[in-house]
Amino acid sequence: MKRVTLLAEVQQDVCRGCKVCEKVCPVYAISVTDRKANVKADACRGCTNCESRCPFHAIKMVKREEPFTIGVDVSKYDSGKIRELCEKAHLNPEQVICYCVGVRAEEVAAAILGGAKTPDEISSLTGIRTGCTIECIQPLLRLVEAAGIELKRDESGWQWYGVTPTAWTLPEDVVQKYNKRGFYFEEDKELLDRVVHTNPEGEETK
Amino acid sequence: MNYTEMMHQPIKPILPKPSQYGIDPSLVKTRVSEMPGMVSLYLRELFPDLPPVLLPGGPDAIQNVRKAAEESLMKVDMSMIKPEHSVNVLASHHGFTLFGGEPYAELLKAIKDVVEKRTGCKDIRLRAGVGMRFRETEEYIKRYGLDTYYNGKAIGVAPIDEGIPIETEIGTLYGIKKVYDADWIIHAHHTDVREVHFHRQVDKAVKPFGMSYARCETRSTYHQNLGPRAANFTARAIFESKFVQSKFAFAAFLNCGPHGVIGADCDNDLYALNDRATFVGCQLYGKIMTLFGEVDKCIAVLDFPCPVPYVFSAGVIYANFTGANTDLYDMESPLPPYTWYTEAFYRKNGQPLLEDTPPMNPAIKMCVHNYAWTGYPSEFFSKNIPTVVVGEEQGKLFDTDSMNIGYMDYAVTARSTEQAMQFAYNVTGTDKVVIFDGAMGGMNVSESLAKLLIDKAPEVSERVDNVLLPKWLKQRGVDISILNKNK
Repeated sequence: MKRVTLLAEVQQDVCRGCKVCEKVCPVYAISVTDRKANVKADACRGCTNCESRCPFHAIKMVKREEPFTIGVDVSKYDSGKIRELCEKAHLNPEQVICYCVGVRAEEVAAAILGGAKTPDEISSLTGIRTGCTIECIQPLLRLVEAAGIELKRDESGWQWYGVTPTAWTLPEDVVQKYNKRGFYFEEDKELLDRVVHTNPEGEETK
Repeated sequence: MNYTEMMHQPIKPILPKPSQYGIDPSLVKTRVSEMPGMVSLYLRELFPDLPPVLLPGGPDAIQNVRKAAEESLMKVDMSMIKPEHSVNVLASHHGFTLFGGEPYAELLKAIKDVVEKRTGCKDIRLRAGVGMRFRETEEYIKRYGLDTYYNGKAIGVAPIDEGIPIETEIGTLYGIKKVYDADWIIHAHHTDVREVHFHRQVDKAVKPFGMSYARCETRSTYHQNLGPRAANFTARAIFESKFVQSKFAFAAFLNCGPHGVIGADCDNDLYALNDRATFVGCQLYGKIMTLFGEVDKCIAVLDFPCPVPYVFSAGVIYANFTGANTDLYDMESPLPPYTWYTEAFYRKNGQPLLEDTPPMNPAIKMCVHNYAWTGYPSEFFSKNIPTVVVGEEQGKLFDTDSMNIGYMDYAVTARSTEQAMQFAYNVTGTDKVVIFDGAMGGMNVSESLAKLLIDKAPEVSERVDNVLLPKWLKQRGVDISILNKNK
């Protein structure tokens, strides 16, 4: 859930139509036509990526006159299915996966169960990846993948490139080779599994 | 030495700096170190075995840093760089927050000059990575004249910029394309420990390859996919890739301690340098960290131009002080009181998912946020530690930061520094104050806290040397005899 208070605003006289803003917007709220960037106000989630990467400083963030809140009501979805999807992605439903906005795994799972199929759709609905836009991309991709949805990267943009290794995919030889150099791979995997399998009552179920 | 001899006039804190991430410096009316009852402690008086420093020092301190950098740079092999080649000098934002920023900027200038002189190469560029404030290093590049120094070839790079896949032994990770768009890369960093809660002083010298030089996918791997003590392997995986090894020329580090710049350390072997950095990080910083763990109750003051978790006192960042109730270096403890993995594992009811999660440092009775920046998700701090923010302008700034929409939901505002401190004294009942204001060479604290720290320092020093340091180094596979050989 996110309170959207900001809106990207393009200074048309400064914009040169370079399209960097298009490539970094996690929700495709800005696009360039006729060599000028334009923002779809309803779609902008106020992350500031376009403002922060515009090479010409043509975009500024302004306060919305009418802030609004986005989010998915988790209670409308089967909690068993939410847990099943989260556990498949090695996440606890209650765990926070977006540190800036505070979105939890269950909300993303609910968005997917509700029909969202792409990372940008999920960001638009929940607000995940509209703060720093950096740290939550992997759990987001993991949940989409766990739902059996094929991830298709937009080759024309830089929104995201692909899924990466997890504690559950590390090659055994790597684990053995480096565990004496301070990398606690197995112990951390065990810790993450404990988190994943803690139920709403706070009991560890595995 | 007695209390009086060891308590000095407060050290002048780092000045507020103009930035899009902080309030206008003119709005910072009072620094807490100027208030009654504050003193400074010099770190070399608390821990006499800390090595001498080049900076802070006299008027020639920066020139001495420059000289040390040049001398160290003369010792590395640069024969792989030919006059017709291109070289990217890779920097990270954090270096510019150390000791006023000039020492790191001077290192970057020295690298360019020495490489040019020794190799004849003219196409030398600066690529400066960031944390989460994508314009941050652009600001530093301008502030320290690096754009001019690098002949207009200095840019800030961000984790959402165009990426490049890097094949590693654990799978595909992603770097920032502009970091690697040269024939050679030079890794320009420092030994300051900063985020011990994240990297746990494991491969700290390698970390930027998985962070400030990396795309968001890689950084997310670090902070979400591997676990709190395995995270930094993302950096090693990238560094060891054939792609990065084919471009790596050498590393040039500012050798820092909690009390200042000790010298420069350049090496073609990053792992040898890493072992030395591990020793510095564990021994020198470990003593201050452990001493902070002895504080029983206090008011923590944020008064430094950088985001909430990164304000400094005696080389220790506030984020680490919030974990000073535990031993952050001890690898047997999986979750520090604050790290992103810990934050992730708090339930909706505010309680941790795992019962054995340590709480945020209970010694911090209140946080007075006199001056600190936005640009880093900080709601977890105001949610778990009573926080008073000075001035409505700061509160408003946080309300417009996409990473901190909720920070002021939990903090209260005071109109002035004086009122904020009075409120903190009244409510907490303690007059022990530690100020995170970047005071160089020492720390600004209240007299009452100074007495406690003076009393505890000798025992802490002995404990670190004899008990903790051997354990910490063993946990990291660092052999002290190799370190001695490398000196």
